[in-house]
Amino acid sequence: MISHPYRLRRRSLLAGATGAAALAAAAACGDDGPAGTADDPIEISFEWWGDEARAEVTQQAVDLFQEKNEGIKVRTNFADFPTYWDSMTTRMAAKDLPDVLNMDYSRLLQFGSNGLLMPLEGLVDTSDFLDGFLDTGHVNGELVAVPIAGNTLGLIYRSDWYEAAGVTLQPGYTWADYQNAIRTVTGTLPEGKWGGGDFAGQYHFMELWLRQQGGSFYTEDGKALNFDKAKLVEWWTLNADLQAEGAVPPIDVSSQWAPENGFVLDTIGADPGWDNFLAWYAPTVAENGGTLALAAPPSLDPANLGLYLKPSMQLCISATTEYPEESGKLIDFLLTDPEAIAILGTSRGIPATNVGRENVEIDEVSQAVLDYEASVEQYLTAPPPPPPAATGSIEVKFGEIYQQVQYGELTAAEAVDTFFTEAETLLAAEQ
Amino acid sequence: MSASPSTAAEPKSGPVGDAGAPPVRGTRGAAKRRSSAVRGGERLAGYTFMTPWLIGTAVLTIGPMAWSLYLSFTDYHLIRGGDWVGMANYTAIFEDPMFFRAVRVTLLYVVIAVPIKLVASLLVAMLLSQQRRGMGFYRAAFYMPSLIAMSVGVALIWKALFSNDGTQDRFMSAFGWDGGGFLGNPEVSILMLVLLAVWSFGAPMVIFLAGLMQVPQELYEAADVDGASKWRKFVHITLPMLSPVIFFNVLMETVGAFQLFGPAYIIGGDAGAPAWSTLFYTVRIYSLAFTDFRMGYASAYAWLLVLAVGIVTIVMFRAAGRLVFYAGEDGR
Repeated sequence: MISHPYRLRRRSLLAGATGAAALAAAAACGDDGPAGTADDPIEISFEWWGDEARAEVTQQAVDLFQEKNEGIKVRTNFADFPTYWDSMTTRMAAKDLPDVLNMDYSRLLQFGSNGLLMPLEGLVDTSDFLDGFLDTGHVNGELVAVPIAGNTLGLIYRSDWYEAAGVTLQPGYTWADYQNAIRTVTGTLPEGKWGGGDFAGQYHFMELWLRQQGGSFYTEDGKALNFDKAKLVEWWTLNADLQAEGAVPPIDVSSQWAPENGFVLDTIGADPGWDNFLAWYAPTVAENGGTLALAAPPSLDPANLGLYLKPSMQLCISATTEYPEESGKLIDFLLTDPEAIAILGTSRGIPATNVGRENVEIDEVSQAVLDYEASVEQYLTAPPPPPPAATGSIEVKFGEIYQQVQYGELTAAEAVDTFFTEAETLLAAEQ
Repeated sequence: MSASPSTAAEPKSGPVGDAGAPPVRGTRGAAKRRSSAVRGGERLAGYTFMTPWLIGTAVLTIGPMAWSLYLSFTDYHLIRGGDWVGMANYTAIFEDPMFFRAVRVTLLYVVIAVPIKLVASLLVAMLLSQQRRGMGFYRAAFYMPSLIAMSVGVALIWKALFSNDGTQDRFMSAFGWDGGGFLGNPEVSILMLVLLAVWSFGAPMVIFLAGLMQVPQELYEAADVDGASKWRKFVHITLPMLSPVIFFNVLMETVGAFQLFGPAYIIGGDAGAPAWSTLFYTVRIYSLAFTDFRMGYASAYAWLLVLAVGIVTIVMFRAAGRLVFYAGEDGR
């Protein structure tokens, strides 16, 4: 039996080739496509970013969808955030996007303005969304994305460290108050732990700071930066004293934390951030014996916190899909079916629909986020227009160039010149 | 192309002419035709057997290269396409401060890593060229790292070794170093990649080893008779006899070093962290193309690298004409 290994292999190869040819022929014959019935199902694809836990609940919800909708099969796939976008940007060039895909607000215009997303009006039920949530899904006046959940910025901090240091963040506290709080808390902590991080490298906090002064990051048409160099110099020198005193972690230390985070590593006491990140940090902080809390961000003007409700994740349909209706059905199901909502839980944030809020089970951390959002609701203002297509790259450059300031490679003024050159080139390249 | 086979066929028709009779034009012509027909058939068969490779080269190498040369004269964008912009990309590069940073980092790496790697591999090759028991094992052991050095896994291990409180930090702290891990320190971060290169000296080492085995023993014996010291033997026998091999290794390693990408990208990311100190030229090309989507501009960057490496290679060949000694060539 072992005397003809090659013949065996050749035969199986031939068989495989014949099979493939037969399949191709069969595929070529079916010119009217699948009928979308239980016997002859159609297939749509659905992809998202996230971890294993999210994938598990999503798959359960998708299975339920397939049970309830015989004739529609859903092929699922997921990856972590950077990998997901690497894949999507490559496939966007090939016009090979999944039928239903997860969208991020910073990428919406990049995809939407290039005609890669299908208008959702009439395909997706938009009647049940909470006020203000749909505002951020429009590109050129057409709704192309619906939010799964919403979030807003806040200050996440270690309430156990802050209480032990006797520091309270009184509502209406300023950026200078926050810096003093960091100083005090760092002073009470052992070496290798800090009361807060250097926040000036984060594009979103600069945007927040600008909004608190009535400004914005980009001009209304998204073609230019809406602040001058002096403004950015001011922002990038804000933490110079804290750095010099050692009140915030030095850059050669904090740059090595990625892809982990100061909260998870038990090294940092506060940082501004998206409120739904609380759910990500809280379990590990609790394991380390700490507690996390959310406060409104510092502001120059207690009446204007600069906050707006941002979709934390959106769902879109590819413009090239063969099955727009079925894709819309899947989106409706994920956002408004009570059973699906119960399964999905708060893995993607607190749902953006009324029926979602009624049917989701709220745990302690989610409750803290909800309480926080209720407390700042009166301060929420109209969101800025979808950021320009170059935003993803500009955000990266912002952090990268500020790092040169932290390392002392560039002065703040030199770094600002560099950033303006880079940002202007990127904005021009995406026009 | 068509001329060379018939010229090659000339000696074959020789015996016809040597038969004594004066060469008859017709016969000679017929023989030539037949022979070139046979050659033509063989050539066709040869190319037929090569088709997979030829198609691969055309589709996967030459095609994309030509395409990227075209792109370098456009403002090509991944989705939107692009328009012809002439030399604009090339002139913009020379006003791009990041270009000079990337060039500086890359040149620094080439100038430090290549000599250290070659000296280390030559020294180890000299140790391993001795005839001792178990030498096969040692040769394999020293070659081994080069098989895995460019892998993602090793780059990740490297990152861990050179982080704060990592192996290097602890070891050097014992001797009074207070610079922390190389990973977060832009002054020395490039050394991580230099050390990775030196650690993976397997390929040049094997070539040196082969070269050392080829040096005729009688040269050393003659030098011994004259009472030459070890150093003199090394300088006046080993190095000259090895010079073609040295030249080959210098060339290959230099060209390779200009193109270092994988480990640099994994260790420093597409921003060349920390503080652009590992922003290699290839990393800059990558981030322009795949983070900023400026394909046209990135292509222009890539072609400047081709040009630069080409010039370096030509200069080396010129210099080699004077510096390299090929045994058996008289009068050199």
